Amino acid sequence: MNVKFLNPFVGSAYDILSLEMKETIQRGDLRLDNGAYKTDDVTVIISLVGAVDGSVFYSMSKEVAVGLASILMGEKFEALDRLAQSGIAELGNVITGQASMKLAEAGYESNISTPSLIIGKGATISTLEFPRLIVPLFTSLGSLTIHLALREGLQSNLKTSQIKIPKVEF
Amino acid sequence: MDVKLLNPFIQAAVEVLKAEVSAEVTRGDISMQKSSLTSDDITVLINLVGDVYGVVMYGLHKTTCLHLVSKIMGQEFTELNSLAQSGMAELGNVISGQATIRFSETGYTSNISTPTVLTGKGVEISTLDFPRIVVPLTTQYGVLTVHLALRVKKPGEPHTPDEFISLITAPPLKKGS
Amino acid sequence: MAKILVVDDAEFLRVRLTKMLGTDGYEVFQAENGATAVSMYKEMQPDVVLMDVTMPEMDGLTALKEIVGFDAKARVIMLTALGQESVVLEAVKSGARDFIVKPFEHDRVTKAITKLLA
Repeated sequence: MNVKFLNPFVGSAYDILSLEMKETIQRGDLRLDNGAYKTDDVTVIISLVGAVDGSVFYSMSKEVAVGLASILMGEKFEALDRLAQSGIAELGNVITGQASMKLAEAGYESNISTPSLIIGKGATISTLEFPRLIVPLFTSLGSLTIHLALREGLQSNLKTSQIKIPKVEF
Repeated sequence: MDVKLLNPFIQAAVEVLKAEVSAEVTRGDISMQKSSLTSDDITVLINLVGDVYGVVMYGLHKTTCLHLVSKIMGQEFTELNSLAQSGMAELGNVISGQATIRFSETGYTSNISTPTVLTGKGVEISTLDFPRIVVPLTTQYGVLTVHLALRVKKPGEPHTPDEFISLITAPPLKKGS
Repeated sequence: MAKILVVDDAEFLRVRLTKMLGTDGYEVFQAENGATAVSMYKEMQPDVVLMDVTMPEMDGLTALKEIVGFDAKARVIMLTALGQESVVLEAVKSGARDFIVKPFEHDRVTKAITKLLA
């Protein structure tokens, strides 16, 4: 996988998680996985379509998901109910959105899909012929893993809907 | 979900199944579900971006999937190995591709993502606040269930909802906003 | 025996087309992306190429342009799920000799190949 796609995701995850959790996030060792992914408790799936194509997963345990959702909401969740799920999906959406903005600035315009959430351990998710770049992130709540199965998309002048995402300053 | 988003997928599925596996397809009762989907043996997930956006999922029992890919390949598959999964993903890809062609003929430009294949019964798949339309398609090989959670982008509407912008500028989110 | 190069990132498709075209009497080679397709084309000079569009490393339209760039007589047939007018026009403009939208019928593919080989 193109490593130039890696940094926008790691950078965005780092910025957003650090901001929301008010702590320093650590990144673990990267690895490339050619096989299928055995799901953790919670996995957010988001696709990219455009000059960068493929999928991104954000996976974590239920405890981390509930803890993160609580921080994002500013109120304690006891379980991963619909609202908490929505919070985790939105987190994935925001990180991916930020990353896609950085990618666009580097000349790779893409659209990001809506998120889907997989809840349940032990299922298998395959990205077929795309290997996944695995990026573990460590927070005080536990780890959150980013899986990147991305490649360069259609090089030609074909345009999917070109959407300009406004620049936002923190 | 808008009914005009439904028909291109149903037509595409019927035509592709007929072409690929000579299937006689009958459509079962269509329902709308707000809750999560509980996965069947194999689910192919494809996202759409553009004027029509969201997700489409194709769910099947293992035996139905094996029958379909065996018929397409012209040789028997006895397990959901990576080649069988590739075949099922390709089927989902072709149906979704055909649907987007139909959309483009009515003026909606959309593109499909690469497919993701989930194997393993009994996990929850949530499309969050997009309700799903569920269309069971019965063939002589078994049932292919098409789940659609799609919306049409209104002209001038940004792809990313406003909530995205507020989330990254004003932590934390308050309940009810 | 004519040589066909089948280019698609989906393993299932490559295997399926190899079997199908094998029964038609062709010698079939496989490439899993546009970049491999270009290098294999240079190496083995296939008589016909069946080219998918969406692939990693290099997409099919780019590969088509490269191949036509060094072999104006290249016989490339696009075979893809992307059938929108814009894709068809781009492919034809770039030198594709035929364009087949999936799902494909064995007949359609065979006829397209024999037409080019005639």
